[in-house]
Amino acid sequence: MGVNKITSESRPAARLSRPAARLKGVGDSLWVVIDPQLPLDTLKDELTQMFSRLNYLTISMPVVLDTGKNGEHESLIKNLGEFLKEKFNVGEVSSSPNNRSDTEKRVRTRDMERSWKNYRSDVLMMAGRVRSGQMITAKKHLILLGDVNPGGQVSAGGDILIMGSLAGTASAGQEGNESAIILALDFKPTQVQIAGIVAAGASAVSTKFPEYAYVENGQIVVENYLSANPFARMPWPKIR
Amino acid sequence: MEGKVIVVTSGKGGVGKTTATASLGSALALEGKKVVVVDMDIGLRNLDVVMGLENRIVFNLIDAVTGKCKLQQAAIKDRKIDNLFLIPASQSDNKSIINASAMERFCKKLRNEFDFVLLDCPAGIEQGFENAIAGAEEAIVICTPEVSSVRDADRVIGILLSRSIVPRLMVNRIVPQLVERGDMLSHEDVVDVLSVDLLGLVPMDELVVISTNMGNHIVMQKDSMAGQAFRRIAMRLNGQADLPIEVPRTQKSFWKKLGIFGKKK
Repeated sequence: MGVNKITSESRPAARLSRPAARLKGVGDSLWVVIDPQLPLDTLKDELTQMFSRLNYLTISMPVVLDTGKNGEHESLIKNLGEFLKEKFNVGEVSSSPNNRSDTEKRVRTRDMERSWKNYRSDVLMMAGRVRSGQMITAKKHLILLGDVNPGGQVSAGGDILIMGSLAGTASAGQEGNESAIILALDFKPTQVQIAGIVAAGASAVSTKFPEYAYVENGQIVVENYLSANPFARMPWPKIR
Repeated sequence: MEGKVIVVTSGKGGVGKTTATASLGSALALEGKKVVVVDMDIGLRNLDVVMGLENRIVFNLIDAVTGKCKLQQAAIKDRKIDNLFLIPASQSDNKSIINASAMERFCKKLRNEFDFVLLDCPAGIEQGFENAIAGAEEAIVICTPEVSSVRDADRVIGILLSRSIVPRLMVNRIVPQLVERGDMLSHEDVVDVLSVDLLGLVPMDELVVISTNMGNHIVMQKDSMAGQAFRRIAMRLNGQADLPIEVPRTQKSFWKKLGIFGKKK
């Protein structure tokens, strides 16, 4: 994730010591690091200075207030959030979502050093065509380079990725894994199941886009995979 | 002589297996090959009726397989085509009376006598089907452009491939008008799903109904579109694999051309 600083120092006097508030752009939101030890009025002054310099840029922009500690200073964040919303019309104000703990830091360093070689994922990878009456069952994830014909079945404990057209039945997340997805380049299934939740395929007309099915609020939702891009926002590559 | 044993199958009933078997058999025989068509639909025979040989049956497949008669006795010679023979099914016996290994041995015997052995498979995928494919080395899967027929053909292709029998596809009863209007699956759609080699496309032809009821050979009728399509499929089976596949089309343009031609006069 690209992090580019917009402005750094906010007050010339505080240049040598630690500044009361620092600002950077993270993704499509503003990341403001504040010192929670300072009195509220100082922080407000600081933020006013900082945000008025940005003019209209801040309107409905999501803001993350980073106090350096996760789960603390919640009232401070709420207070400042209301203040910013009122004065500068900013969007959602939240505390820092992934304030890295030390263990996480260690994990990420290790991941980088070993190029994620220390992980193993159970995937059944197949190529070919699953015809009517045939069934492929994978313990965890299933990848099929090919098509599933009407009447064919694929089933997996985890995700199902069909690199071709899915016209048969696919059941992912067997035994209750609701986070499983079913993805197909040409998504026109007879039926899909995720963690026992069943959805009947609508029409045989394909959209010519890769689509995927996932569970949201106990229901199966199908979306264009490229425009939804569900895993793009993950901060760090993770085992699945 | 080392002949080819080809099973004609479809999974679904009523798509034209029997007619196709009879027609391909007679077309291959007209190509000069020695051909036998075998009715594997024990208990529900009808290949003999389609070929108009019902009244000549003395022995049947069961008699030949179980050794009650000689192969030559069971094979009935066709009325019109000299080197075409029929081995009829038994109407009274139960299909469990022969098993797959007996059928396999019998097919080997047939292969030594004939250039082409065409097995008319019963509908379904039960014992009768298992018997029919036991001795076969190639298969012709018949499919009509209907969703249910494609589904069953797909299942059958899966089973055939699991037995290392190479299936080839024949799409039967294509109505070009419906395909052009988008009301019928096109043969491309069918081939797309089934993804096996295409052997030929046969259009819907009412002459087929007439000639099967009369017990005549559709392939001997020059004006029958279906008959000519069967002739070309037989040529492809008989070594001319490169013969281009003709797609059935409406004859509209043909009549239009005639119309223009008439005006010029």
